[in-house]
Amino acid sequence: MKAFQMQCKMEIKRVLRNRYFVFWSLMMPIIFYYIFTNVVNTNAADPAAWKAHYLMSMTAFSVMGSSIMTLGIRMVQERTQGWSTFIRLTPLPDHIYFSAQMVGQSVIHILSITVIFLAGAIINRISLTPMEWFMSGLWILLGSIPFLAMGTLFGLMKKVETAAGISNVLYMVLAVCGGMWMPLEIMPKAMQSIGHWLPSYHFGSGAWEIVQGGLPSWKNIVILFAYLVVFMLLSKYIRRKQEAA
Amino acid sequence: MNEILRLENVTKSFKYKTAVNNISFSMKKGEVTAILGPNGAGKTTTISMILGLLKPTTGDIKLFNSQSQELHVRQKIGTMLQEVSVMPGLTINEILVLIRSYYPEPLPLKDLVNLTGLTEQDLKTRTEKLSGGQKRRLNFALALAGNPELMIFDEPTVGMDITSRQRFWQTINTFANQGKTIIFSTHYLQEADDNAQRILLFKDGSIVADGTPQQIKSRISKKAVSFLTDPEKSLEILYHHSEIEQIFRKNNRVYIYSDHTDKILELLFQEKIGAHDIQIESGNLEEAFRQLTSENKEAI
Repeated sequence: MKAFQMQCKMEIKRVLRNRYFVFWSLMMPIIFYYIFTNVVNTNAADPAAWKAHYLMSMTAFSVMGSSIMTLGIRMVQERTQGWSTFIRLTPLPDHIYFSAQMVGQSVIHILSITVIFLAGAIINRISLTPMEWFMSGLWILLGSIPFLAMGTLFGLMKKVETAAGISNVLYMVLAVCGGMWMPLEIMPKAMQSIGHWLPSYHFGSGAWEIVQGGLPSWKNIVILFAYLVVFMLLSKYIRRKQEAA
Repeated sequence: MNEILRLENVTKSFKYKTAVNNISFSMKKGEVTAILGPNGAGKTTTISMILGLLKPTTGDIKLFNSQSQELHVRQKIGTMLQEVSVMPGLTINEILVLIRSYYPEPLPLKDLVNLTGLTEQDLKTRTEKLSGGQKRRLNFALALAGNPELMIFDEPTVGMDITSRQRFWQTINTFANQGKTIIFSTHYLQEADDNAQRILLFKDGSIVADGTPQQIKSRISKKAVSFLTDPEKSLEILYHHSEIEQIFRKNNRVYIYSDHTDKILELLFQEKIGAHDIQIESGNLEEAFRQLTSENKEAI
C-alpha cells in the first residue's frame, strides 16, 4: 500500500514537471479558449451556448492530448533508458506499477479539467448547473480511456523522437478533424463525413450535448468503446509480434 | 539452506549462436564470486538468466530455492545492470525514496548516501541532468536500497573513475564481511583477483575454470626461463625434453615456457647450451589470461 501511494505520488510529480504537459495541456487550451471566445468574432448565433460549447472542446482537447502523448512517450522513455527492466527486478508487482500510472494519469486529468473549467468560468462567466459541470467533467475523464489505449500503442515504438513526432501529428489531426478547434458544421461536407467517424468527435460531442442540457448519445459511447477495443487488440497484437522477434 | 544460488545444466541458444553452453554451479551464503571472461563469453547472458530477464533454453536456475520471479526472491536481491537505468522527471532523492518503499526492510537513506558517495547536490539533481558517473552511483544506491542478501552486478565498474571504483569495492568488501552473497561479472582479471573469493572463468559460453583466484592464476600463468646464448647455437637438443611446453627466440633472447623451471635450469647446464644472463619469470598474468580466453588464432 505504501509502495502504491508513493508510486502514484511520484507519477503525478513527474507529469507536472513535464514542460510539454504544462504547455500543451494547460496553457494552450486556455489561450485558445480566450482567443476564440473573446478576441476573434465568431458570429455565433447564441454567444453563451458557444462559450460553453468551446470550453468543452478545449477541455476535451487538453485531456485527449495528455492521454495520447504523456503515457505513450513515457513508456518509450522508460524502456529505452532501462528503467522498465530495472522495475521488473524489484519487488514492485506489475499490476501496482500499472494501476499507479493509471491513477496518476487520472489525477492529472481531473486537475486539467478543473483548471480549464475554472478558467472558462472566470474568463466568460459561464454558468452551468452543478450537475452539468460534474457530468461533463466525468464524461471527459472517462471518455479519455480510448485515447490512453491509443497512447500505449505509441508506447510500443522504438524511439522517443518517433513516438513524440507521430503522436503529436495524429493528435492535431484528430483535434481539427474532430471539430475541437472549430465546429464540424462549418467545415466542408467531406471533412464532416470523415469527422463523424473519429473518436475525437464523439469524445467532444458527448460533452457538447451535456452543456446543452442533453446527454451523450449511444452512438458516442459505442464508437468510443469500439475504438478502445481496436486499440487494445492492436496493442496486444504488436506486443506479441515484438516478443516473437 | 545455505545454498543461495544454483544453476543446473543451463544452456541459452539464440538464433545463430549458443551464448551459454551447459553450465552448472552453485553459490553458498556469504560467497563473493566473480564471473570472469572476455566480451562475448556469456557473462551477461548468464546474469540475465539468473535474474529471470532471459529464459534458459534448457536447464534450471534456482535462487533461494525458488524461481527468480517470486516476490520473496525479489525482496532479497539487489542488482546493477550494465545498462544505466534512471526514471526521468525525478530527483535522485525522490527515486531513492520511491524504490525504498518497495522493500520490507530497506537501508536507511543516510546509509545509502554514505555507501555510494552521493553528495547533497546529487540528491537534489533530476535524473535527466546527471552525468555518467552520477548515474552509476545512483544505480549502485538503487541496488542497495532494499538491503539485499544477494547482490548481482553486471560489469559494475564500467564507466566509473578510479575514486568511484575504489569506493565501490570498499563498500562491496564491507558487505562481504557482513555475510552478504555477492556475484559480479568483469573482464579484468585484476578486479576478480582483488575482490572475489572464487572465480568462474568463462570462455565461449562455458565455464573453463572454477576456483579461488590463487588456483585460477596458477592455472593460467605460465612460468618461463629466458636466457641469452650464441645465435649460432642450435637449440634442437632441448626439443626432446617433455618438460618444455614452448620454446622460441625473441630479440636474441630464448624463452622456454614450462611449469618446472628448476628442471629447465638443470637441463640448460646438462646440455651445455652456453646460456648466460638467465632470468626466471613467473609470467604475465594478464597476458596469459588474454591468451587463454581469446580465440586460438596464434596456435599456428
